[in-house]
Amino acid sequence: MVEVALAADFALIIVAATAIGLVARQLGQPTIVAYILTGVVLGPVLLDVVTAEGLVDHMAELGLGFLLFLLGLKMRIDDIREIFAPISNIAIGQTVLQTALAFIIALALGFGTVEVLVIALATVFGATPIIVKLLTDKDEITSLPGKIDVGVLIIQDIYLVIVLALFSADELGDAGEITTTLAVIFVMMGFILLFSIASSRYILPTLFRRIADNKDVFLIVAIAWAFLFIAVADVFELSVEVGAFLAGLSLAQLPYSKELQDRITPITDFFILIFFASIGLQIESAATLLTFWQEAVIASIILMIGNFWIMFYLIDREGFSVETSFLGSINMVQVSEFSLVVGALALAQGFIDDAVLGYLTLMALLTMTVSTYLITYNHAIFDRLEPWFERFETGDEIIETSEGYSDHAVAIGFDEVTEPALALLQDRFGEVVVIDRKTEHIAELDAEGRFDYVFGDFRHSEVRKASGLSKAKFVLSSTVEPDVNEALLREVRDDAIVFVEAERIADAHRLYERGAAYVIMNTYLTAERLSHYLELYFNDRAAFDRAIEVDIGRIRRRSRRMGAHDSSLVDLTIDPRDLGDSDE
Amino acid sequence: MSEFILALAAVFISAGALLIVANQLGLPPVPFYILAGIIAGAFIDQPALIELSLWGVAFLVFVFGTQVDLADIQSVLRDGEIAAVTQLIVVAPIAFGVGYVLGITVGFEDPIRNALYFAAAATLSSTLVGAKILQEEIRNNLVHGRLASSIHFFDDIVAIGALLVLSAEILTDDVLITSKIGYGVLFLLAGLLIYRHGYPLLVRVAGGVDELVLMGSISLLIVFLAAAEYVGISIVVGAFAAGLSVRTDDVASIGVKNGIESIKDFFAAIFFVTVGALVTFPTFEVLGFAGILIILVVVVNPIIHTTAFIFEGYDGRTGFLAGSSLNQISELAIVIAIQAWLLETIAPTLFEAIILAAAVTMIFSALAGRYEQRVYDVALHPILGRRRGYLDERSHVEEGISDHVVIIGYGRQGHRLVRTLEDNEIPYVVIENDPAIRDDLEAECANYVFGDAMARYPLELTGIERARLVVSTVDHLPVSRSLLEFGLSTDIILRADSSPAAQELFDEGATFVVVPNILAIEQLLQQLERVLGDESEIEQIEAEHRKYLKLIEFAGLERRLERI
Repeated sequence: MVEVALAADFALIIVAATAIGLVARQLGQPTIVAYILTGVVLGPVLLDVVTAEGLVDHMAELGLGFLLFLLGLKMRIDDIREIFAPISNIAIGQTVLQTALAFIIALALGFGTVEVLVIALATVFGATPIIVKLLTDKDEITSLPGKIDVGVLIIQDIYLVIVLALFSADELGDAGEITTTLAVIFVMMGFILLFSIASSRYILPTLFRRIADNKDVFLIVAIAWAFLFIAVADVFELSVEVGAFLAGLSLAQLPYSKELQDRITPITDFFILIFFASIGLQIESAATLLTFWQEAVIASIILMIGNFWIMFYLIDREGFSVETSFLGSINMVQVSEFSLVVGALALAQGFIDDAVLGYLTLMALLTMTVSTYLITYNHAIFDRLEPWFERFETGDEIIETSEGYSDHAVAIGFDEVTEPALALLQDRFGEVVVIDRKTEHIAELDAEGRFDYVFGDFRHSEVRKASGLSKAKFVLSSTVEPDVNEALLREVRDDAIVFVEAERIADAHRLYERGAAYVIMNTYLTAERLSHYLELYFNDRAAFDRAIEVDIGRIRRRSRRMGAHDSSLVDLTIDPRDLGDSDE
Repeated sequence: MSEFILALAAVFISAGALLIVANQLGLPPVPFYILAGIIAGAFIDQPALIELSLWGVAFLVFVFGTQVDLADIQSVLRDGEIAAVTQLIVVAPIAFGVGYVLGITVGFEDPIRNALYFAAAATLSSTLVGAKILQEEIRNNLVHGRLASSIHFFDDIVAIGALLVLSAEILTDDVLITSKIGYGVLFLLAGLLIYRHGYPLLVRVAGGVDELVLMGSISLLIVFLAAAEYVGISIVVGAFAAGLSVRTDDVASIGVKNGIESIKDFFAAIFFVTVGALVTFPTFEVLGFAGILIILVVVVNPIIHTTAFIFEGYDGRTGFLAGSSLNQISELAIVIAIQAWLLETIAPTLFEAIILAAAVTMIFSALAGRYEQRVYDVALHPILGRRRGYLDERSHVEEGISDHVVIIGYGRQGHRLVRTLEDNEIPYVVIENDPAIRDDLEAECANYVFGDAMARYPLELTGIERARLVVSTVDHLPVSRSLLEFGLSTDIILRADSSPAAQELFDEGATFVVVPNILAIEQLLQQLERVLGDESEIEQIEAEHRKYLKLIEFAGLERRLERI
């Protein structure tokens, strides 16, 4: 066993990153900063105990692949369609202006020609993981500024995928070659994109409807799908990232994508840690990181301020309110982690040297750290500065319409218990969202078209978020698992009315103590009713017949409804009992 | 793009394709991973993959550790199913003997050691596969499901112990073995200590951020692995102890549990596929070994288990169903084999035979599970169901009882029904097959039959043909079907968990089918309307309901349920 030690470098990185991450957490810093620092600490700069070779390198590559897969998974075209036009204007404007600004600054700071080009292309503003994570934690991701930022980030990601593809090309000589490379990239990407869209329409729905019920199979097949695209991308000599991103994109359009995001996120977290650490590892020495420290500080300050105004101008021009423009802009003032990706690639291809990567890294570290605080206190900062910013007010701004769920009802599980209650809840609360983990139930809900639904396991935070659970006024849970119900009671707002199910009396008491309004106890209810029926059977046969007639009617209606969707369900289930009733 | 990523692509694409097939056939994933490895073996020749697959082993055992509750171990040891011990004192020596003779015949370098590996593979059965096949039975609390899963659990614990001992290079060195066991115990204690004090601290420092708690848990795993490597015991024991130290029973750790689960699934896939890839084209010798192993696992093992179960007091059907759920090689036996492969103490022939036999028995087990009932009815019932005197002795039915109610199952519902019937002075007979509640049956029921409700003789004992009504409280399709097929003219009330299933039973002649969810609707709607009408009712509802629950508690119903 001794020779095959479990990858000591890799293990060391994880333990150190966790330790530094915990410290960073205490200081309110994002984990990404901690991970990059881990690389700096363990690498040549400080301790020099770990090298970015072998398995660590592989893991980093894998981490990047998973990050892009996950980003692709989050790209639901439906979500951003309505504000697509203003957002794409903003994104394109931001990319062009900010690249230009980075170019001018790099030029002014005296870098070489190729370096200036790389720095300009690599300095991208808006770090998706930081913005998405902080805004989600603050529950602002679905607010208008949040949506604008996410929309811009998504368009930026497409741009980045192109830049990445460009940098992974072997030659970057003259303009002609760049054009050819770009053309090839576009054609290849177009080809895979077509395949991805076609598959998301024709292959994937059938395939995933069959497997989505089975948790393990679901995850592994999704990963297999990502690797299939990676392999195809390899055939076209495109990067791992492009393949993974497009694979994610094609899966994102399925109703199962939220569930999948939650399954993929931990794997991404695990590998991306190695990736960020490996960035720190690549810095040869403290000297390289600090070679251009003055330049990095100057560039950071100018770029942060400059980019804020670029964003503010662009968002404001699209007619959004001053507050929206301000928040949307202040959230975006950090260098994206993709700067480091692009930088690392450029280093690998020999376009730049370590010192320039050090410059990019230092800039990322600085801006990410500062912006964490800016995002955390964005509203407080706006309140302070509002009097001054009022001058930009024109009076004809788009008023934000709140779109997320609020004061609605959420049902967990679509079954005999919840179904009859849904109509009642809809009458009362307007909107009803059903969370369910079974594809056949989702198919039924979809066919009925009356209620919104989210496919997935309630245990997953993305799934809970998608249902707007924390804003719901009423929650009906038909799961008997006490941990799920307790988590539910923790997450709902204080005045929400919650009906849950339990199997054991002890659980019921605990759920009541945690704030449940009513605990349904099926087994006891059933025992009670059945023994009541039994009494009727012996004492008043006619009453017994009437009583069971009602239940039989319910069973018949319910199974007929399930049978009505059988044409689409036949493939979905392997349980023969669910197949038998289509003939009535 | 590196060769490594392409090798991983080969692993996952082949695994994904075969998993779709497995899913379509309703078979467990593990054997299909192995098959994927065998098929894609040529592309998966990467040393880095072996390293990743070791992470798969670590995570598999780690997750198993997180799910283990100390109380579980105690209860399994306390209940001490005779069958669990039987396999250790009967099956293991037989398998060891066979393995030893085979080893001598072929001329293995270290026949004793290889015989041990052989015995481990033959004796231990699989939780991953078994739990999946038995899912429904375990959920519905059927006796044979409960039995089989407790044996699975016992086997897993034994496997961890075996891994500890077998990580010693020299098995005859007492000092070495003792020190390994000593370290193992220390590791477990350290794990428990962290569970108590360290882990809650981690959660607190992480400020409830899932990502950090997740990485913290993985860091714990790594520290334990490193410590295990340092003192020279199996990393599997380290992983198990690390798993013990992680708290997943907390509400706050739902996200972390999912995270660990995802990462495990990812690495476990790599592990099983890589293991499959280690199998080269099988020689006759490999096939011979695998064949003998398969016979031991598929035929000898179930026979011994079934016998032990029946000896313990279970009826023939329960014994057979539980015994035959144990007819596959454990995934931990594969781990034992891979550890030996890394130590280079296992003969290559035996290694490949174990992997092959594991894949075959896992698939066989899943397929055979579908025909068990029929096999029992046709082939075994005539033999095992004949012990009528034994049945008579353990039952008590009033002579010539008629116009009575026959109740199948004495669980929560059965108990409630018996009380109602006694209150109304209606005669009844209960039929139940779980030895755990036999005492209650004797103490509380006027008439009872202790036996298999799917067999003819015990049902005849209940006087079912003269009964006025049959009520089954057991939610298990084979039981419901067999009652309907009994050809009774009396009314039959059955139980099912969904409307379509109930509808089918109606079509086959049931008078009424109890679907708990359907029976609960009315009450739910009532309470819902109350709450929606006036929110201040909530407190009233809670008070009423809790008072009612206290009453039930007082009646002692819950205690019975805890035991079942």
